Amino acid sequence: MTKEELAAYIQEKYGEKLTPLESGRYDLLYEVSKDNLLDVAQSLKDDENLQFDFLCNLLGADTKEHFEVIYNIASIYKNLRLDLKVILPYDAAEIESVQKIWPAANWYEREMWEMYGIEVKNHNDLKLLLLPDDWDQGFPMRKDWDAPDFVRLPEVD
Amino acid sequence: MGLIKKLPVYAESMPGGSLVLTSVEAILNHGRSKSLWYLLFGTACCAIELMCTGASRYDFDRLGMIFRPTPRQADLIIAAGTITKKMAPRLRRLYDQMAEPRYVIAMGGCTIKGGPFYYDSYAVEKGIDHIIPVDIYIPGCPPRPESLLEGCIHLQEKIRKERLRDWQEK
Repeated sequence: MTKEELAAYIQEKYGEKLTPLESGRYDLLYEVSKDNLLDVAQSLKDDENLQFDFLCNLLGADTKEHFEVIYNIASIYKNLRLDLKVILPYDAAEIESVQKIWPAANWYEREMWEMYGIEVKNHNDLKLLLLPDDWDQGFPMRKDWDAPDFVRLPEVD
Repeated sequence: MGLIKKLPVYAESMPGGSLVLTSVEAILNHGRSKSLWYLLFGTACCAIELMCTGASRYDFDRLGMIFRPTPRQADLIIAAGTITKKMAPRLRRLYDQMAEPRYVIAMGGCTIKGGPFYYDSYAVEKGIDHIIPVDIYIPGCPPRPESLLEGCIHLQEKIRKERLRDWQEK
């Protein structure tokens, strides 16, 4: 299945839940709403023609307008790749855990939680992963984060 | 007679041998400076230069420096590489476990002031002198083996100038 065929297939079968976003020469990128995430993820995995069984990466992002959670998934059997993006407003930064579908999400979600403060619901082991155990300085990957010894790179024209 | 030329000594030839007089301080400092066993503490790319310096081309053994994998047997800790805030308590503990007299070399930009991680980093300690007292700073990213050898020679000079009285006060 080529990239175009995959795009057509997804448009036909998941058209109402997945909104295509511009991704250029990279993998196909779709926006999915927070409520549909688990449904869509489960059906992408169970779909006979897709079998997205592998979570390559899960990352958070702070765009200064809202948070984004991005899932890079792949299909080992069908040799396909796909990106899903969930947009979360600042005042409702919480998302459902996908570790029942892709167990690899466990540590990714822990990292996203500690770095961005995006609450992960139904996660079985939500505790600090990379930060020191006594960390109490907030969420360092947020754009507005600051700390006493933190030096931001000066703007250069 | 190489050693005797370098130390403040009084040598008197006698039948069947010779008599040598010197100070405890001089002989102790000489011994310390010529047998700096260093603790391996390589946390980043500086460790590669450290290994290279320890290997045959540059040969740390010439200075009497042999690596030790345990702080209990080490006189010197060469902090080679980025020290993160999570690593800092471990560095402090290793330093505390070393027997006195003990010395510290901060190797590379990261250990001096955070190096390339000075800006925009929440995780990197900006200089290990916040954690342990440093004797010699060696700049570079990473420093070449020649710089490291130079730094160690400077440390030897520093040790040779030490007074026993200073240690008592500590």
